[in-house]
Amino acid sequence: MGILVTETTKVLIQGITGKEGSKVALQMRNYNTKVLAGVTPGKGGQQVHGIPVYNTITEALENHPGINASFVAVPNFAAYGAMREAIEAKIPLINVLTEHIPIQDTAKAVALAKRNGVKIVGPSSIGIISPGIGKVGSIGGDDPRGVYSKGSVGVISKSGGMASEVSWILTKNGIGQSTVAGIGGDVLIGSTFADLLEEFEKDEQTKAVIIFGEIGGTYEEEAADLIKSGGFTKKVVAFISGLFAEQLPAGTKLGHAGAIVYGDKGSYKSKIESLKSAGIKIAKTPDEIPDLLR
Amino acid sequence: MLLYEYEGKKLFKACGINVPQSQLVLISESPNIQISAPCVLKAQVLSGKRADAGGIIKVQSLLKELFRKTINGERVEKILVEEMVEIDKEYYLSFSYSTESRGLVLTFGEGGTGAEEKGAKTYPIDILSTSEVKKLRLHLGGVLPEELIEIAIKLWEVFIKYDCELAEINPLVTTVIPAKLALDSDRGAGIQNNIDSGSGSGMTSSKNDKIVYALDAKVILDDDADFRREVKFPERNLFGRPPTEAEIEARKIDEGDHRGTAGSVYWDLQGGDIAVIAAGGGGSIVNMDALLAFGGKPANYTEHSGNPPREKLKKLTKIVLSNPNLKGCWFVGGTANFTDIYETLMGFVEGLRELSPKPTYPIVIRRGGPRDKEAFEALKEIGEKEGFDFHIYGRETPMTQTAKTMVELAYGNTSN
Repeated sequence: MGILVTETTKVLIQGITGKEGSKVALQMRNYNTKVLAGVTPGKGGQQVHGIPVYNTITEALENHPGINASFVAVPNFAAYGAMREAIEAKIPLINVLTEHIPIQDTAKAVALAKRNGVKIVGPSSIGIISPGIGKVGSIGGDDPRGVYSKGSVGVISKSGGMASEVSWILTKNGIGQSTVAGIGGDVLIGSTFADLLEEFEKDEQTKAVIIFGEIGGTYEEEAADLIKSGGFTKKVVAFISGLFAEQLPAGTKLGHAGAIVYGDKGSYKSKIESLKSAGIKIAKTPDEIPDLLR
Repeated sequence: MLLYEYEGKKLFKACGINVPQSQLVLISESPNIQISAPCVLKAQVLSGKRADAGGIIKVQSLLKELFRKTINGERVEKILVEEMVEIDKEYYLSFSYSTESRGLVLTFGEGGTGAEEKGAKTYPIDILSTSEVKKLRLHLGGVLPEELIEIAIKLWEVFIKYDCELAEINPLVTTVIPAKLALDSDRGAGIQNNIDSGSGSGMTSSKNDKIVYALDAKVILDDDADFRREVKFPERNLFGRPPTEAEIEARKIDEGDHRGTAGSVYWDLQGGDIAVIAAGGGGSIVNMDALLAFGGKPANYTEHSGNPPREKLKKLTKIVLSNPNLKGCWFVGGTANFTDIYETLMGFVEGLRELSPKPTYPIVIRRGGPRDKEAFEALKEIGEKEGFDFHIYGRETPMTQTAKTMVELAYGNTSN
């Protein structure tokens, strides 16, 4: 059945009247995902592609108690408020597309989500797709069918573009995916590689997982630690990017916000070494991934 | 954005943290220095390990020949002349975010260079429980000596109020002998920034007459919070050189147009000869890694993402290809989720058409995603008709394999 997005997923869209929100609403529905309602403060009573819009999540939930996932596509200055509203309403899965959210706001939202027992995926997440079942977020765009195919390999990627590229490489080689999740490349994120590996461990459909990481932070090392401690027992293949970025002066910003290395922490070498010591195979290019899975 | 020491200290002072009396001088002027010797001269550069590189010197008398011209390759333009402080104890204190605890952390330990190696410890702090100073004080009380709690609360204020990624004091010092108090007020006329009377109204001395000073300031502002931060600082370049014309022009592309990004991230790379127009914040790095692995020398780094309109790609192309030393151009990206490949590639073509002289070097294109087939058909025709040396690859060709193709075409097949 895959993870996070299943047959029972029923979605609310925060920021549905915006450009991204309304576009993704249509994409999700076209991919047979149940989108029950949207929220934009002050625009309650409107409809977007026939989907009812409410002023608050409370109102939306009163009318659609089945909602169990929220997709957040609001501007960065409004993102903390939107996340907090979803967390306080105890929506169990909150997928945040919004990029460039101040890190202080993300820190608060991540802490609040933990306290309330709900899961954030993102910020800066391309979304989550369980091929053939449904998707939350802009992953796969208008038509995910060519790139994503149903199967038994999970994909967790910091990069949205590379989630798509890796899925395409798998599909091209006849390997389908159970769930592909973009966790975002920010410094602080709601769900890490390790968090989603734990979900994939429980999922019967998933037989192996691809980790697409990059320099900066410690989430790849955390995944390696989980595997070493026996918390994830299925096959894992990893790819780490960012050697180029390490040649630039320390602190240079490029790529994702989280892809920044100070000192040795989060370096390419540190990640490769800890993943290897956990017995994980490392792909040198994305195209080696299918061979390493076999 | 990483701040210079003197900028960080301005924020510190605004929140009541004691800093020594100081005066900022421009190296290009002959300054009228109001701080009396002996004092400390501190090069205002962004690179780390400044003291080890000779960027901080103590002087007994003010010399004419103030300073070296570069520190770690970075040109010194400003010097902070600071009064000497008698140090009793040195500490390291910072607030930052950690991916390990996935939240806010306090780091505290022995100060001075190499604080990390000296065993500074990191303590997670629940950001939700710090809205009241009373609770914050409880957190800090378990970690810090009593005499440092007040300054830590003020550093916390700096960290939160100015949306920092890092607010660090190293060294944070206690002194038993109060530093010389501020001079009279008519100082520094005509000198930029005048003297900062650090030990002004915010000065606090604890019971045993110990005064706590921030001798240095390292502050990294969260650029994503620029929209709500009232204090603004001028742009700077981490490469320790002024931005190139191309970098300045590239960054203008996204100004006032939020449809996707193109050019906000753009760096010229010295000595390179392959122009790169890469897509996606993750994929761009993957491809740069591959280009280097095959021996390619990139002339620039740039990424575009989020479905930017045609005009943005046109402008970006003209800037990237304005370099006269190019041997090739690589337009590369993965299989996009929602970026319109036809629009972005037609923007690229429009840029190519306006270049003079017209590029004759090989142009390798690898892209996938919405409307890619349409784009490739159009490109094929344009290449033949208008005489561009296009080598077009779609999603069936591995992205990183086209790095090899690019290198071979640019440097000849003999290259490794």
